[in-house]
Amino acid sequence: MSEAASGMGTANPNARGLVIMPARNEATRIGDVVDGVSRALPGARVLVIDDDSEDATVEVARAAGAAVAPLPIHLGYGGALQTGYHFAVRTSCAWLIQMDSDGQHRPEDLPALLAPVLEGRCDLAIGSRFVPREDEMPGYEMDAVRSLGRRSLALLGRLGGVRVTDPTSGLQAMNTAALELFTSSWYPVDYPDIDVLLLAHRRGLRLCEVPVTMRPSPRPSMLHSGWMPVYYAYRMLLSLWALSAIPRRESPEPGSDSQGG
Amino acid sequence: MDRSAELERLRSLFLSAPESDATRTLMVIGSLVLIAIVLWLVRRRALREEHTPIWIAISVGLAIVSLVPGMLGTITRWIGAWTPASTLFFLGEVCLVALCLSFAIRHSRTSVEIRQLGQEVAVLRATLDELDLDRAD
Repeated sequence: MSEAASGMGTANPNARGLVIMPARNEATRIGDVVDGVSRALPGARVLVIDDDSEDATVEVARAAGAAVAPLPIHLGYGGALQTGYHFAVRTSCAWLIQMDSDGQHRPEDLPALLAPVLEGRCDLAIGSRFVPREDEMPGYEMDAVRSLGRRSLALLGRLGGVRVTDPTSGLQAMNTAALELFTSSWYPVDYPDIDVLLLAHRRGLRLCEVPVTMRPSPRPSMLHSGWMPVYYAYRMLLSLWALSAIPRRESPEPGSDSQGG
Repeated sequence: MDRSAELERLRSLFLSAPESDATRTLMVIGSLVLIAIVLWLVRRRALREEHTPIWIAISVGLAIVSLVPGMLGTITRWIGAWTPASTLFFLGEVCLVALCLSFAIRHSRTSVEIRQLGQEVAVLRATLDELDLDRAD
């Protein structure tokens, strides 16, 4: 889309965008992440969506210079993300980056992630651990369970016409077209995952992947706990089935929807 | 010995039994009491009007079934049950499932509305936050 590109050139382009971070009990890590973003994208506004934390996440984030959207009730990851999208739409942002507040995503990757969106090459850029890159960064290590989960989701995506290598990546950049879609009632608030990417594809948004490096998550994956994988798979399949009720919209530039990074 | 013919004979015997006046009276009283309670709750503002149609429909349905002679027997023959009592239980269960489903739908709608309110509150407070940040600059 051209909204993002046309806004360039006036003053600091970073000021027209927003970096959002959903956070729940991340007081020990979020300060460094906000600092890192301010260094990587000088002048960019940072919004921390506090998902009803019990620790000092709000205070730490404010002290680091971020604006804080404190949710009065615990909404979960998707509900927190959508709060950020609503804020971006309300404050007329030209672009938005979402990243995790636990330090898994590196602020240094943000400019490269944002570039294809600002240049109008895609509407939604996904930071991927699995796109090969030129420099010598070490590959991301995944254990068998996570790897199986990633492969199944990637396969689901391919069945729906989306080619992504890292379907669970929470590191994404987007323009106003994606924001408009994600603030609609179609956004799968419960477990935003491959179904978000399929929704975006179905509504004619152009996706691309950008190689990034991620640190191992400090928290255990929920795919490791008991019956959660079964429940997760069930929710995902239900969500995908619900997706088929949403009318299709063709991409303005067909055939340009993969491997833009 | 043809067992199915014997069963069929037994079933028609069950169905031809005269309707119990006691059951009928209880059903009429029950449905009238239900209608009265629903109306009273609406009057007390304890039950909002929009929630009442399904309750009124159930109690009026019960009243009709109990007041029209032979209706319960006819329904019993239709659905293949043996006794009017089973028919009553079956209809009651259908009503309960319908009520539960309507509650689940209302509950889903309410949780969406609560989520939207929560997001709205957070967005407004973030807007205030940004105003503060701007003033500090």
